[in-house]
Amino acid sequence: MKYFAGIDIGSTAIKIVLVDENERIEAHQVSATGSHFHRNTVEALGRLIEQTGFSRGDIAYITSTGYGRKLFKEADESVSEITANGAGAGAGRVSGEVRTIINIGGQDSKVILLDRDGHIKNFVMNDKCAAGTGRFLEMTARNLGMEVEDLGALHHKAQAPLTINSTCTVFAESEIISQLAHGHNREEIIAGVHYSIARRIVRLAKRVGIEDTVFFDGGPALNAGMVSALEDELMRKVVVPELPQLTTARGAALLARSAWIGTGEQVNV
Amino acid sequence: MSVDNERWERMKKTAQVHLAMEARETLTRMEDSFSNGPGAMQYFYDLHRASYCDGTPLRTAGKTIGTLCVQVPEELIYAAGAVPLRLCSGAYAFDQIGADFLPAKSCPLIKATLGMLHIGPPAFAGSLSLIVNPSTCDQKKKAGEMLEDFGYPVYHLEMPPAKASEEARVYWRQSIKKFSRVLEKTTGQRITEKRLADAIARVRSAQTAYRRLRDFMKSATPPIRGTDVMVVTNAYFFDDIGKWTGAVNALCNELESRTGTGASATLRHAPRILFTGSPPVFPNLKLPLLIEESGGIIVADEVCSASRLLNDMVAFDEPHLYDMIPAVADRYLKPCTCPVFTSSEDRKRKLVEQAQSFDADGVVYQSFAGCMPYELEQRLVGKHLAEAEIPMLSIETDYSPDDAGQLATRVEAFMESLKGRARRKANDEVRMMK
Repeated sequence: MKYFAGIDIGSTAIKIVLVDENERIEAHQVSATGSHFHRNTVEALGRLIEQTGFSRGDIAYITSTGYGRKLFKEADESVSEITANGAGAGAGRVSGEVRTIINIGGQDSKVILLDRDGHIKNFVMNDKCAAGTGRFLEMTARNLGMEVEDLGALHHKAQAPLTINSTCTVFAESEIISQLAHGHNREEIIAGVHYSIARRIVRLAKRVGIEDTVFFDGGPALNAGMVSALEDELMRKVVVPELPQLTTARGAALLARSAWIGTGEQVNV
Repeated sequence: MSVDNERWERMKKTAQVHLAMEARETLTRMEDSFSNGPGAMQYFYDLHRASYCDGTPLRTAGKTIGTLCVQVPEELIYAAGAVPLRLCSGAYAFDQIGADFLPAKSCPLIKATLGMLHIGPPAFAGSLSLIVNPSTCDQKKKAGEMLEDFGYPVYHLEMPPAKASEEARVYWRQSIKKFSRVLEKTTGQRITEKRLADAIARVRSAQTAYRRLRDFMKSATPPIRGTDVMVVTNAYFFDDIGKWTGAVNALCNELESRTGTGASATLRHAPRILFTGSPPVFPNLKLPLLIEESGGIIVADEVCSASRLLNDMVAFDEPHLYDMIPAVADRYLKPCTCPVFTSSEDRKRKLVEQAQSFDADGVVYQSFAGCMPYELEQRLVGKHLAEAEIPMLSIETDYSPDDAGQLATRVEAFMESLKGRARRKANDEVRMMK
């Protein structure tokens, strides 16, 4: 059995997914990118291979994606995270279902539109500003003395979400601090942050158009409060995959498999 | 005020150093990545090096008339005994100077052009007898006024806001007639029939050479890159027209001799791109270079720094001024697809026609941040292209080098999706044949 690796080198985290010849996920890993992303990626891949008990030779093809993709020369190929995310969300293989993919990453967000046949039709990205991205959630957690993973649980305990007016993450931090000083509770602030991000995402998404079914991936999709706020702002339900943080890496792995197998079975995004 | 003078001289020197650095970087990127390219391109690379890096003066005699915007009739300038010099700047160095006194959100081309002229005309230009500023977009209009404020002699060439109506045609013809008299006064030389006929012929030779070059891009294996064609057209801004025409013909001769040898500027199945929108002016070939470095090839363009500069010819019936001057006027209005006009019909139609005749796989639409006309037309054009099933990627950018990574992601994703489309089309064709 041969295995294929998809490595998504993001600004915050390195995600690796190994799939087998039948596209089953064999192993996966998330680790911090840190400042030395090349070295950390090499180490992360090494650790994952050790964990599975395979040898490096069992990995027939590596496809890298994410902002660090070009510098990771150990990969056989690199693809843009848009194509990888599309592949991971089922583009090119599942027709008629997923039409809009919303991804919120560590410091960017994107919306990808698929056509009726599941191929990428259009996309829009926000990578100039950290508002509406994972950074905003990290900043919020930090100021509330919490872990990012625990934000979601408090979302529904809010009586009503607070409106966060600042569009900039840096200024929103000051706003949050001031609200805490005025006696507002954590729950209201967290819910407010989720709605603020959701509103920005919907504004971005409208530039390419929103069509059912909407698929939501990226680390923040693990946050139940974020999902809820997004559904409210989109006015429709969204589908969140298992392991949403790994969708792009999984897409890269599927593309790796497809590249190795050859034209007969190529995933055509 | 010797302290001010010193600071002024320092600013000029620093700007010149920055400009040279930018130009050198663009040229190196281009020369290094096309190792077996046609030798005749060296003329154009060297010309840019001489002007932008070394500040070598290109013209020593005669009057130079600066032009902003592509609607200024060059034929009339030549007929009046002067030489036109397109002033639109693509330098980030000058954009940063313009940013000192222009609004943050204004168009980078305006900032760069005004920044450049603020510290004096380009080193290679010599002095400008006149600057002609057509009243195209809002920012160009105000730029003209600001240049007067800097002390330049500026002539505001009045353009109509529409082009299809008879009123617009008459208005423009009158504007051109008036302009021809201003030219004569500036140069002290009358525009005679013979001089105008000669000028029209000279420009036509240049345009013929350009078309020859451009047609090579129709090939399935283009022998030259789109960015090279842009360097050639950029040279037209400031090179001697006779020399330029000769150099383009020499390049075409070399390309002809390479046809059939398998020499191609790009890999097979490279996505063929039609580039449109805000003009890439040297050294700001950021987006075109990115497209070609990401595996695409720009086979055609609809920008005023390249094809729109040279594509349309003057056509007159009678070799008399009463026919030739209106014919010149028509050439600069009727085929113009600048987004400043009330209708974008002509531009939309032209884009589809170009995409088809150059077999483009997709369109990349560049708008400069702050360029309202191009940004507003993006939606209209996008819709029209979508109806013709031509994929389009919209990119908003400016002259700063800091968004290269972000643009790369978008451009690569677009190339990947075009390759996917091409593969599917090929698979469908194979299936249909079976």
